[in-house]
Amino acid sequence: MTDDLVLDVRDVKKSYEGLEVLKGIGFGLRRGETKVLVGPSGSGKSTLLRCINHLTPPDEGRIFLSGEEVLEKNIDAMRARIGFVFQDFNLFSHLTVLDNVRICQVKVKGVAADVATERAQQELERVGLGDKASAYPAELSGGQQQRVSIARALAMDPDVLLFDEPTSALDPELTGEVVRVMQKLASDGMTMVVVTHEMSFARQAADELIFMENGYIIEQGPPQQLFSSAANDRTRAFLNVIAEHG
Amino acid sequence: MLDFLRFGIEWLPALLKGVPLTLALWVIAITLGCLLGLILCWARVYGNRLCYWISTVYIELFRGTPMLVQMFFIYLGLPHVGIVFDAFTAAVIAITLNSAAYQAEYFRGSVLSVPRGQMVAARACGMSKWQAIRHIMLPQALRRVIPQWSNEAIIELKFTSIAYTIGVVEITAIAQDIGSRTLDFFQVFLWAGLIYLVLTSTVASLLSWVERRTHVPGVTTN
Ligand SMILES: Nc1ncnc2c1ncn2[C@@H]1O[C@H](COP(=O)(O)OP(=O)(O)OP(=O)(O)O)[C@@H](O)[C@H]1O
Ligand SMILES: [Mg+2]
Repeated sequence: MTDDLVLDVRDVKKSYEGLEVLKGIGFGLRRGETKVLVGPSGSGKSTLLRCINHLTPPDEGRIFLSGEEVLEKNIDAMRARIGFVFQDFNLFSHLTVLDNVRICQVKVKGVAADVATERAQQELERVGLGDKASAYPAELSGGQQQRVSIARALAMDPDVLLFDEPTSALDPELTGEVVRVMQKLASDGMTMVVVTHEMSFARQAADELIFMENGYIIEQGPPQQLFSSAANDRTRAFLNVIAEHG
Repeated sequence: MLDFLRFGIEWLPALLKGVPLTLALWVIAITLGCLLGLILCWARVYGNRLCYWISTVYIELFRGTPMLVQMFFIYLGLPHVGIVFDAFTAAVIAITLNSAAYQAEYFRGSVLSVPRGQMVAARACGMSKWQAIRHIMLPQALRRVIPQWSNEAIIELKFTSIAYTIGVVEITAIAQDIGSRTLDFFQVFLWAGLIYLVLTSTVASLLSWVERRTHVPGVTTN
């Protein structure tokens, strides 16, 4: 059972200066699964994602990637296999779009330059930006920048992709293009954990919705089930609120 | 005016003989100062507590004392403890050490002005700290620092003139010498000033060309 888990998060805890933000979180992800993480602001969603690749090292608990434990000593190699998409893109500003998608392949995985270029071009096509290869990030719209950052993560051929509110920094009219790329990835069989308030995405693409509050997972299940009949009052209230606003 | 030109025709060739030495002093000092400045900046931004303190004390020490005092100390003071440099070497060392302190602070300001997310994104894709600094932080910090660095480079070019006080035969020393021979200090220092002006404006336009050549949209100081 645990063997075929791509991502296995076990009892992760994290405190900031005495404030316990994650109070024992566990969940697993099989190959090709997409799980959407929702919860009120401050519930610890970002912290959880950042604990998975040790951008914020967890205090307790264990994380396994395809059966191999993520540890401080193998962290760079593990991060190369965990794609991370940030809310504010964080594209490398001094590099062209193509080089943004190439650089980690070359420097981290040691991929040959021409192979990396070809792969980069391929991933840019996949997110619909094949014609922007020579542009600089500052010359792109937010939606385009976010799609490049998805291509950058994909080019590393990651076991799993983590998205932390990928559309929250975008103007409303630009969220669609990013959501569509994510939906395509989900249906292409990418393994992903997505923190988002885009409930249309959750409905269509999520295999499971995980509801977090106060550092705990308080409910999880297929989105249809949670949307129609969440067992927990607070889950229901929260889903109603974002359903109205999104 | 005619006097000025006549004086120039007679003495300019002699004055210009000081240019190679002035430029040599400046190029060597500013280059070594740049390398040392980068190391000091590294120590202060990324180093452990010990590196941080050594770097901070160094920077405060060299920025808090006059360069002339530093130069005299190296050239005239150190021989008392058995360390002897010729005048040119002493001047190079003094300007290097002094400039490094200023350059380090400009580099540091520039590194800190690169958005935090750049480092995070680099680490998140698996780069080591060193790789992230080398491939992501440094190229951006260096682009952002060019305007300030140009100022510093030009200030140091002018500061080479104080090497004259320890006997380095650069432009100012030659001017002083011509002045005492002709007793026309007015003309000779006008000409010397003119030479410095040509040098500094050449350097300024060269560096602003570098700035334009390396410009990337979205990577700027402001
Ligand atoms: N670096 C930090 N230092 C101290 N406290 C932090 C830090 N990062 C997060 N926190 C705190 O941890 C809690 C959880 O934050 P987190 O960003 O994980 O929440 P979130 O669920 O992602 O919220 P949001 O929906 O607003 O993004 C918050 O109370 C936050 O203030
Ligand atoms: Mg968050």
